[in-house]
Formats: sequence, C-alpha cells, structure tokens
Amino acid sequence: MQCERHTMTDDDPGVKLADIYRFLSRSIEFPEPSWLDDAYWPAFFALLAGIGWQDEANELRRLRNEGAPLLESLQIEYTRLFINAVPHVIAPPYGSVYLSDDGTLYGPSAVRTKDFYRERGFDLSGEADIPDHLSLELEFLALLAEEGREEEEALFLRQHLRPWFPRFKARVLAEVRHPFYRVLVNLIDFFTREEWDNGFESDET
Amino acid sequence: MALNLTRRKFLQTASLAAATAAVSGCFANRAAASTPFVRKPFTAPGSFADTKTVVGGVCEMCFWRCQLVGKVRDGKLVKLEGNPKSIDNGASICARGNAGVKLLYDPDRLKYPMKNVGKRGAPEWKRISWDEALDECAAKLKAVSEKYGPHAIAMFPHGASATYPMGFFEKVVGTPNISEASFFQCRGIRDTAYVATLDTPPDENVDMANAKAILLLGGHFGENVHVSHVKRYLKGLENGAKLIVVDPRFSASAAKAHIWVKIKPGTDTAFLLAVMNHLVKSGKYNKAYVTANGVGFDKFTAGIAHASLEWAARICDVPAKQIKEVAELLAANAPNVSIHPGRHVSWYGNDFQRERSLACLTGLLGAIGVKGGFVAGKGPKVGKAGGWPAVNEEHAEHHALHKMAKKYPFSPPGTPTDLIREAALTGKPYPIKAFVAWGQNPIQTVPNQPMTIKVLQQMDFVMVCDIMPTDITMYADILLPETSYLERYDMIKPGTQWDLAGKQQQYIAARLPLVAMTAADHERKDPVWITNELAKRMGFEKHIPVKSQEEKTEKMLAGANLSIEQLIKEEGIRVQDGVEPYGKVLKVNFFSQEIADAGFPGVPTYTPVPEPPKGFARLVYGRAPVHTFNRSQNNAWLVNEMPENPVWLNDESARKMGLKDGDRVSLVNQDGVKSRTTTVLKVTPGIRKDTIYMAHGYGTMNPAMTVGVGKGIDDQSLITKGAVDPETGAHGMRSCFVKFIKDGKELSIPA
Repeated sequence: MQCERHTMTDDDPGVKLADIYRFLSRSIEFPEPSWLDDAYWPAFFALLAGIGWQDEANELRRLRNEGAPLLESLQIEYTRLFINAVPHVIAPPYGSVYLSDDGTLYGPSAVRTKDFYRERGFDLSGEADIPDHLSLELEFLALLAEEGREEEEALFLRQHLRPWFPRFKARVLAEVRHPFYRVLVNLIDFFTREEWDNGFESDET
Repeated sequence: MALNLTRRKFLQTASLAAATAAVSGCFANRAAASTPFVRKPFTAPGSFADTKTVVGGVCEMCFWRCQLVGKVRDGKLVKLEGNPKSIDNGASICARGNAGVKLLYDPDRLKYPMKNVGKRGAPEWKRISWDEALDECAAKLKAVSEKYGPHAIAMFPHGASATYPMGFFEKVVGTPNISEASFFQCRGIRDTAYVATLDTPPDENVDMANAKAILLLGGHFGENVHVSHVKRYLKGLENGAKLIVVDPRFSASAAKAHIWVKIKPGTDTAFLLAVMNHLVKSGKYNKAYVTANGVGFDKFTAGIAHASLEWAARICDVPAKQIKEVAELLAANAPNVSIHPGRHVSWYGNDFQRERSLACLTGLLGAIGVKGGFVAGKGPKVGKAGGWPAVNEEHAEHHALHKMAKKYPFSPPGTPTDLIREAALTGKPYPIKAFVAWGQNPIQTVPNQPMTIKVLQQMDFVMVCDIMPTDITMYADILLPETSYLERYDMIKPGTQWDLAGKQQQYIAARLPLVAMTAADHERKDPVWITNELAKRMGFEKHIPVKSQEEKTEKMLAGANLSIEQLIKEEGIRVQDGVEPYGKVLKVNFFSQEIADAGFPGVPTYTPVPEPPKGFARLVYGRAPVHTFNRSQNNAWLVNEMPENPVWLNDESARKMGLKDGDRVSLVNQDGVKSRTTTVLKVTPGIRKDTIYMAHGYGTMNPAMTVGVGKGIDDQSLITKGAVDPETGAHGMRSCFVKFIKDGKELSIPA
C-alpha cells in the first residue's frame, strides 16, 4: 500500500514544509532527466531566492545558461561523491557510516531509524532497503510534516538526521567540485537544522 | 520543545510563499507520486523484531564453502554461524566467515553499473543504467570479436560467480584465452601433475584425521584456515599422528611438528627424491602396492638413484640424517600416511616435478585408498545445469596459444597467463583487444604488475564485474556490480562427513540467498542475469541454457530429487547415508611415458632455481588466518584483527643490519622495484637467513578500498619476475629477491 496523502490545504505550513523536504529528498537522489527537468530549475532558484541566497542562485543559473552538459557533469559528481570513486567515495549518504565505530552500512543507528519509522506507522517498501539514506530520511520528514506531526518531526531531526548530517556535510564541502552539491547540502542543512530554545544548534562537524 | 517555529514562521513570509509554490509545482501530480514508504500499523516489538534463522548459506570468504545460517533480524543480516546440521564444518566458521556480514554492508561496495569517463588507471566514474552498460559491453565485445576474432577477448575469472560467464565466453563466444588465477597462479600444477601420475586431481584429499603420519610441504595450517580441513588435521594430531613440516619458516604447523625440516626454498624436489631413493634403496617402500599398481618403476628407481641423502642435504641445506629420519618415519607409519598435495603450489617454476614427486611418494608408500592415506570421500550425485552448448569451442581450441606454440602440454584448462599477456603486447600470433575480469583481481594475482597494466592499456575494451572496487576495477571502461554470495542463488556444494572414518554420510547444500537480493539503494545483479543479458545483445540468445540463477539451482537440485523448497525444509542441507570411501586402488605412473614423449623428464627430476643475488634474500609469502587475499582486505573487522602483514627477517641478519623488531621498513627487489608502502618488521629465529616472508593480500593500491588501501606491503608488486613452470605454463611466484629499505637507506641482507 502506498502512502495516501493527508488532506490538508496547501496553505498549511506543514504541507509547504513537506513539499520542501520532498523536493530536497528528490534532489539528493541520482540526477535523472525524469526529474531534473525544466520545471526543476526554476523551483530550485525560487527556493534559493526565497531564503535570500541570491549569489548561489546566480552562480547556478550562470552555469546552466552556459549550455554545458549539466546533467552529465552532475551525474559524474554524484557518482564520485555518493557512490564510488577514486581516491574513494567521498561521502556515502547513509547515517550509520558516520555513527558506527566501524563505518558500516546498516549499523545499529540505521536499525534505530527503521524502528522510528515503524513506531510512527511507516515501513520501507523493500525488506533489505537501507533505512538511513539521506533521501529516505528527508522523505520521511515530508510524510510527518504533511500530517502536521511537528513534534515527531523535530524528534526525528534531533535523534536521527542531525547526529550525522553535519559530518556528512563537512565531507561533501571539503571535496565537492560542482557548485550544485555544495549549494544543495547547505540547503538541506538550512531546512533541517534544529532551532533549540536557546538558539540554533552548534554546527558540529 | 522546539518546533521549528522559526522555519515554519519563515515559510509564511511572502518571499518563501512564491518559492514553495514553485517547489510544490514540481509535484503537481501528487496523487501519483509514490514514496519509498508504505503505511503499516505499529506492532509492538517482540512480534516483528524476532531474529529469524535463514538456512541455505554457503560461505565464499574463501573457496572452502562452509555451510552457514544467517541470523536475520528485520531484513538485516546480523550474524553468520555454521549450519548446525552441517557434517562438514558443523557449527564452526572462521573469522573470515564471520566477517561476511561486514562485506555485505561495506559502504565501498560497488552499487551501480558505471562508465569510466576518465582514463584507465585514473578513472572518473559515472553511474549508468544496466541497459546502457550492457549495450556498450556487448557492442564493444562484438566489435573486437568481428575485427580480430573471438580469441581476441581475454577473460580473467575467479570464484563461483564466474563459472557461468566463463562457460559463455569459452564455448559460445569462442575464446581460449581464459586465465583462472586458481589454476595458473595456484593449484593447476598440482592437478595436472597428479592427473599425470595417479590419473586424478587430488584436491586436498588426504585422510589426515586417521593418519599415523602427516607430511606438509609448505602447508601452514592454522595460519591457513579451512574449517573441515583443519578439523581433519587436528584430529589426526590429537590421535597421535607424527607431523613432518618442510618449510623455510617456523610456521604454525612447524610449531606442532615432530620434525621441522628447515629447507632452503626452491629445493623441495631434491628433498623428496632423496626420501624416495632412500625408501627404495633400503627396501622400505610398499612393494606389494608398487608391484600391483606401479608403472615404470624400474625407470623411476634408476632415474632417482643419484639422489643420495648427502646429495639432497647439500642442495637443501638440511642434515642428511634428518632426511633419513623423515623417510624412516614415513616408512614406519606407512601406508597410513598423509602426503599432503598442497593447494597453492605455483612457487618456483619447477613445481610440476615437485607435485609429481609428492604423488609418486604417495604411491611408493602405498598410501592410497587406506586409512590416513590419499582417499576421497564419495559425495552424492547432483544434477547439472547452466552448461553452455559448445557453439564455438572448436574455434577456441584452434586458437589456444599454448597449442599453437606447442608449449606447456600439461597446462591446466584455459591458457597460461603469460602467453595471453605476450600475445596482447606483441600482437603475435594474434592481437588480444578486449579484457574481461570477473571476480578476479589480476593486478594482485599475477606477477609483473607493470606488464599487466600495459596489457590493459592496449585493449580496445575492458569490462570488469566484481563486488568490491579492487585494483583491477580502476582499469575498467565499464564496471558492473554483482550480488554477493549472501544475496544470490548460486552453486551446489556436495560432500561427505569430514572424518572419513566416521559414520558414512553425504550432504548436499545449495547456496541460497540469506537476505533479499534487491534494495532501493543499489542495482546489483547476479552473474546469470548479467551473462544472459550480454548473450542476448551479442546475438547468442538461442544458446542461453537457463533463465535465472534460481532455475539453475532448481535444476541441479532436481538431479538429487531435491528442490529449493524441500532443501529449506531440511534446514538447508540434505544429509543421507554415505558410502565407504576406503579400498580404492590407483595406478601410479612412477615413470610417465606421456611426460617423456612431451619432451620433459618422465621420472621426477629436480631442477635448480636461480640463487638470490648478493645482499638479497628470497621473498616467500603465505596465508594469514584472518584474510583471503584481496577479497577480505577492505573488511574493517578483519583489518582490525591484522591491519598489516609483518615481514619476517632472521634475527641474526637483523642484528647485523641494525634492524629491530617493530621497525617500519619497505622492500626493494632485484629489479629495483620498491614496495609502494611500508610495513612492520618481525625479527625471529624462525626463518632462514636466505628467506623473507610475509602474508599475501595486503597493500591494495586502489584508494576506493578505504579500509585496506596502503595497509601493509603488496608482495605481488615486488614479484616483477614470475618464473614459468615449463610443463604447465603456470607461474612460479617465489621467484623474486628483496632487500630492505629503512629511512630511505637500502640495507643488504648478509648471507
């Protein structure tokens, strides 16, 4: 059974945030023409403009207008950053790679993430799916947000995504060659960074 | 609790309202949008979090194939154990077997087909679809085949996953140029030498558990671990078997030996000839067996008559009386003696004759078909499936390089590695322009790395299929990711109980997946699927023998009146009554007319190998219990157990050289080739002065192996000059000599 969408009006901030989470979730998947299309870029630029990141928007817009084969260069960079590369894959986008002693996939923290999904009434489609891929965690946040489950959303961010995201981000920023992924991880950071009572969380790395 | 108030407020601002509208617009078709999640009511822990025991695992952390069960919790493999129903390894598995979990979840594993948009050796990868990858592989392979002939495709396979594609390339595509490391850099010499002598390849079929004496030539069990094999060995020792270990190094087995023969490397055949000559001269051989089953015994005794104890003592640098002691000990316990055939035997380039000698010694002692002797368990029959029809096999045979050159008549199946490399580099007798590596890393299996790299660079196309980014993957144009042995249907493992004198039983196990083959974050495929897709694209669809790996398994099991379903019901292993293994008699070709006719010595003969130049010692290598070469060198658990391979140096030599235990050193060989990395020095009286030892399978140069890269020294990088065994064309790899480098200074090794 696929998820049915909760009926809320589009004006609801939770729904808007859900759309943003989902947009980011999709953006951190392998770039395919099926979604990285002419509708994608204006949305991406609008989002950057919306939070005042005009320079980043201009930089990417320029790159796009240069007419270079953007899709292929993004695919190569994505492969290098997140799949396999020489000298080594830069930043596997899985939580437990950063949270376990032996840097394993599907480590204990990933099991806890899966438990969290379950306790909130969600399960992964495939039984062997790795639970803590960044894209999945963002999609899960979207599911919570569109149902207005703000407390659970905050709890998930604090207990599951944020404990590893800054380390992932630091690895990407240290090695990234394509501005798109630099901007994207900063954007994900912006929309997932927790605001504590006493202000923003520290930017641990 | 903080509730993202700022962010939510922020979303209400005018500037962001426009942004969210645009973002939402990307999801205009909301209802149709699918997510990787499904809704499922929460069930309290305890009902879903149980650990399931999944049966049907067969290990492939090495080739021994212990039977496993997987402990699977909620789709995740949490632990591997020996299958308690196993009559082979039983509930035991080794450290490597345990660490299979870590291989399964290694973040460096290959995930998607990739295209190299950089250069061979300095790759830049782009993830591509399977369709694109397979289309390109098929088009390039076809182009090479059409331009130069199918023999212009070379294949370097290894392991269970490579069997099916190897059959395709050999029989259907029609190339003879297949170089299996397990033959040409390992056991092929042993197999063909035993076939020439006893008419059967030996495997490791010596009944050590019931032996009164065991002879190991270089075997270092304990460091070399294969569970049921070690069980046989230890049971024999427990029962009081006398152990003779011939090794230049005080190995784990030498430490348990009654006689340790600290032999000069390269001279083993001289040692064996003297042992046999002594047995013949003193009449202490099994006359009844030899008379009944020996062929060419008179020529044999005449041919080894020169091999006196003193002659061998001088050559082997061991006391004559120790050689005599070994001969007498074997004779006293004959016929219940295990003359171990070895496994990795491609040592010095004079290896066929040594393996012949071991087989002759076995016959001389009558240690065949008797308790403790050379005996094979009688395994059960299973069906065959997945064999390709011999469409172009004849073409392959006509183009076999060793047959064209009239060389290496005792070559194991395939083509000797160096003939393939030489043809590729010279274009003679024909060019080799496509390279397929499947589960093998020829950079670390084959001596002379620069030559292999040159071979790769001149190819029109290089395709690699593997599970990890090993060194060879850096040279691929297209890189294909395979499922691991824990995720696929695969081979059938038949066998018997490990103790041949125990209750006679047979077993049939099949490799079945312990965890799901698919997951959202990768697109790995099994070898049958990959090969069939290639076959379709290359125009060979009509020859495809099975549609899937699962069908292949079903068909093989059907041959034993089994099915996958039934095997699972029987806890992954069928156990049935067995057959008495003892009593089989084998003819022994002491003198081989076949070998003599081919222009080689028909009587086992010792040929000296080159001596180390002054200041150098011979580099030998062996196994470590926690590693299987490349296959495990990126495994964080195993690397943690033994992060690098200490290099052994004789203590007196070390003192003279000013080196001490624990020093960081690197090595340089006789051709001036330096190791890329350093390792730790082990100073010990337990090694000869003319010998340097280290474990093989360290120091990968592929940084994509984030755990294993640069750890320890890659011995293969120093083996620039492989010897070639004249009868078989297989490599000898204990053929190089090294000096030490400490703090940038070269240090000669005193004689």
